[in-house]
Amino acid sequence: MLDVTFGIPLVVLSDVGQAISLLLIGGGLLWIFIRSLKAKEVDRRVVFLFIFFAVAAPILFPITFQEKATPIVKKLFDKVESLPAGSKVLIAFDFDPAMAPEVQPMANAFTRHCLVKGYKVIFMSLWATGQALLTQTLERVVKGEFPEKQEGVDYINLGYKAGNEGVLNVIVTNFRMMFPTDVNGVPLDSTAVFDGIKSCGDLDLIISVGGGKPGIKEWVLFVGDRVNVPMGAGVAAVVAPQLYPYYPKQLLGLLGGVKGAAEYESELVKHYSRFEHTDTPGLRMMGPQTLAHVVIMAFIVIGNISYFIGRRRERRR
Amino acid sequence: MKCKSLVILLFVCGFFALAAAEEGSGPPDSTHVDSIPPPTPVSMLTARDSENDHGHSVTLMWELSTDDGAGQNSVLSYEIFRWVPFFMDTLQSIRDSLAGAEGTIAEQLRKRRDQAIAMIPGAHKSYPEQGGWRKIGTALSGQSSYEDVGVKDRGSPDYMADHTDYYYLVDAVTADPAIRAPSEIVGPVQSFGQFFNTGRIPVFVAVLVFGLLTILFVTRARRGAELYVRPLAGIEAVDDAIGRATEMGKPILYVLGLGSAADIGTIASFTILGRVAKRVAEYQTKLIVPCYDPIVMTVAQETVKAAFLDAGRPDDYYEDIVYFVTQSQFAYVAAVNGTMLRELPATNMYMGVFFAESLILAETGALAGSIQIAGTDQVAQLPFFIVACDYTLIGEELYAASAYLGREPILLGSLKAQDYAKAAVIILAALGLLAASLNWTAFINLFSVTS
Amino acid sequence: MRRTTIIAMAVVLGLFILSWILRSASYVTVQEHYLIGGLKVTFSAFLTLAILSFLYKDNPFYKFLGIMLLMRLSRNRGWLARWPLAFIVGTTAGLNFVRYLRSDFMEQVSATFVPLFVDWKGVGYFISHFSLSASGQFVAIVANWVIFLGVICGIIYFFFSKEHKGVFGAASRVGIWVLMITFGASFGYTVMGRISLLVGRITFLFRDWLGWIS
Repeated sequence: MLDVTFGIPLVVLSDVGQAISLLLIGGGLLWIFIRSLKAKEVDRRVVFLFIFFAVAAPILFPITFQEKATPIVKKLFDKVESLPAGSKVLIAFDFDPAMAPEVQPMANAFTRHCLVKGYKVIFMSLWATGQALLTQTLERVVKGEFPEKQEGVDYINLGYKAGNEGVLNVIVTNFRMMFPTDVNGVPLDSTAVFDGIKSCGDLDLIISVGGGKPGIKEWVLFVGDRVNVPMGAGVAAVVAPQLYPYYPKQLLGLLGGVKGAAEYESELVKHYSRFEHTDTPGLRMMGPQTLAHVVIMAFIVIGNISYFIGRRRERRR
Repeated sequence: MKCKSLVILLFVCGFFALAAAEEGSGPPDSTHVDSIPPPTPVSMLTARDSENDHGHSVTLMWELSTDDGAGQNSVLSYEIFRWVPFFMDTLQSIRDSLAGAEGTIAEQLRKRRDQAIAMIPGAHKSYPEQGGWRKIGTALSGQSSYEDVGVKDRGSPDYMADHTDYYYLVDAVTADPAIRAPSEIVGPVQSFGQFFNTGRIPVFVAVLVFGLLTILFVTRARRGAELYVRPLAGIEAVDDAIGRATEMGKPILYVLGLGSAADIGTIASFTILGRVAKRVAEYQTKLIVPCYDPIVMTVAQETVKAAFLDAGRPDDYYEDIVYFVTQSQFAYVAAVNGTMLRELPATNMYMGVFFAESLILAETGALAGSIQIAGTDQVAQLPFFIVACDYTLIGEELYAASAYLGREPILLGSLKAQDYAKAAVIILAALGLLAASLNWTAFINLFSVTS
Repeated sequence: MRRTTIIAMAVVLGLFILSWILRSASYVTVQEHYLIGGLKVTFSAFLTLAILSFLYKDNPFYKFLGIMLLMRLSRNRGWLARWPLAFIVGTTAGLNFVRYLRSDFMEQVSATFVPLFVDWKGVGYFISHFSLSASGQFVAIVANWVIFLGVICGIIYFFFSKEHKGVFGAASRVGIWVLMITFGASFGYTVMGRISLLVGRITFLFRDWLGWIS
């Protein structure tokens, strides 16, 4: 077992397969480096193969890394952790199956955190495809892991509503005008969750999970800034850089891509022992993610070295 | 003509709006029970119209009970009560009946409901007779304010009439709901809307300043004033790139992007296309313009045709220069990639709105050995263009390029106004830095927008 | 009643569009078929807008605007439709102006009001409590300086009214460096996004197809 500590990620190698795959990747990179020093070309397909192997090997032979939450994730976690008992939290599932591998682990982590703290959770979606993914979370996480929670009392599913920003424009002043009932046709007034909630301004926290349009930007523009409700976000990696300007004033915290999901999951596991054996896809995906990134960085370095060596050779000629 | 008038008449007479259903509200409050000593009540209870809203809302504020969260009779919550006339129960039962009613019965019920709603302000004047206290909300211990927010929709059970006398009291409640202390009654207070939201003054000032700057510079541009725009590397490279294509005898590929004709990036791209087409006409180089959107295609055709006319070569223009491909994102990219690999253009230009296909386009162009000039306002795609293209117009440079080339007064004027706004931001940021360092909260609060 | 009306209207309008498209397809090219279809959709949008204004607004002013919008169909009175269109465009622009100016301008400007020296307690304290951790004072000060200088220099890069020479040019070059670093980070984030999609696909292959992993 290879064990490294003092600030360097703790790599857990559980069997020989992991060691072999790492050796192969390392050996392959060395071979490419030597070829590039000799100014020999490397076929593109070799590069593709390496990326495939770098991703496939950690999936087959799980490699996990310890994740430490960065401040941008920690702030959101601390906010959710510190809300008073009985707080009303809205989680919006604004994504489609294409983004789901990245953002659904975040949505599940938020759901777990809110339910374990005993908050009243309102689920909704501005994307038609988001509703099915919402249902998945309800089935697997809410009903699967929290069977004691009652719909209408501890959580409510408002479902999907068409209208994009138009929906937000209405619910910011009057929820019931846009959602007179929940997805099962139960009037909101007869649910304990919506007791005391007339509009988004009565919520304690809004979390938007997604990455397209309508998404977190629309939530901030139409709701967050208008009624000064604390907002958090979990977004796909592609969109995350565009949302950094909103942090920390307009967004409490931002989870970007699988890394953000992994950090939040690790905080959750650290604080709550009941989640120690829960499936953590974010943490699980960071193994192949990290290895793939290392391979890509190695290629960039090798490519640049090879470029400069080639230029020097050209000048000598 | 007659047929058209008939159609119009049919539609006008055809349809009318109908409203729909309502809900109920809570029962009257409970009475106080003397068993153990009650907590101290809240003091200094005030009620006033909520600020900066469209009405239908009253804000209550109070001094916390001395037993709040501490002491022998610990106050855990505050219950807010509003005086409501008894006839509101009749109104509610009319609303409840509407839920199941149809046809003329529903019409009659609605009339009675509207008559009852009109009586609300008058009924409130009969306080304290003909009514009772109804609980409208709860505040937790530690909270010293509550906003009673109603809606302006007269059909809703949450309807709160403006310019109507309201009376409130607040009960300090312990763990045992029966042990409570009522406050003094406050009222009458009326709610009404404000014309101007004072919380948005900073935005108003910004709108005024920016609007005036834009009008000023557009006017100056229209009067022929010379408004300087610095040269952009990407645009200066366009002429060289066209020259390269002419020398090599290869075509130029111009991609307008995946936006619609209403997108600003596409509109800017039309101006640049006009310039490129004019040069292409002068040098008699081949131009290829595959389009994603049919409307964009028609505008592009007109632009290219006009450019060829301008260059004095109208006969060199033919329909197939600008053509429609497909409105499916990756099918379009596949088609353009195929064109690149077959035609092997010397120059590729990507100007407009792009999405995930940007890297595929740029990489294929690099493979084909073309010189590539790109410009987009999609921030997420800029890294790909910067990496794979020789010149990139970053974000606003695309709009500046269209102003630089087109010299239209509106474009130039608004560009200038934006530049002045940027200068203002730089000055404000510097002042803000000083303010934050020296704790000038007054300056910082000038920029806080509430509500 | 309202819902039934809207559905009926949508059906009628849809049939209108189809009939126009069918009629025009016999003598125009495939390219123009899209254009004509687009134009007919515009007419239908006008009609929908006009009719919805009747259905949803009790205020007679809106009904009047709706009628004016319907005048688009008339050859002689078509110019009347420009007034309600101007009203729609103006309202949308006005609402969005305030919204974007607030969230994307005022809030962002005030977010750059960061102190040069965070919780400054003196040089002695700074040295004795020196820390490179994310929550340390040194890192917070460096972060604030980077935010301030990065914003200023980035804005200077996009200044088009002055040539980038001298100090201005130097600031502009710092600005483009900041932008390139940002784009590099954005590129890296996108690579992470694409790799995670690849991880998802390979997991699907190994788990759901080959059954090699549970």
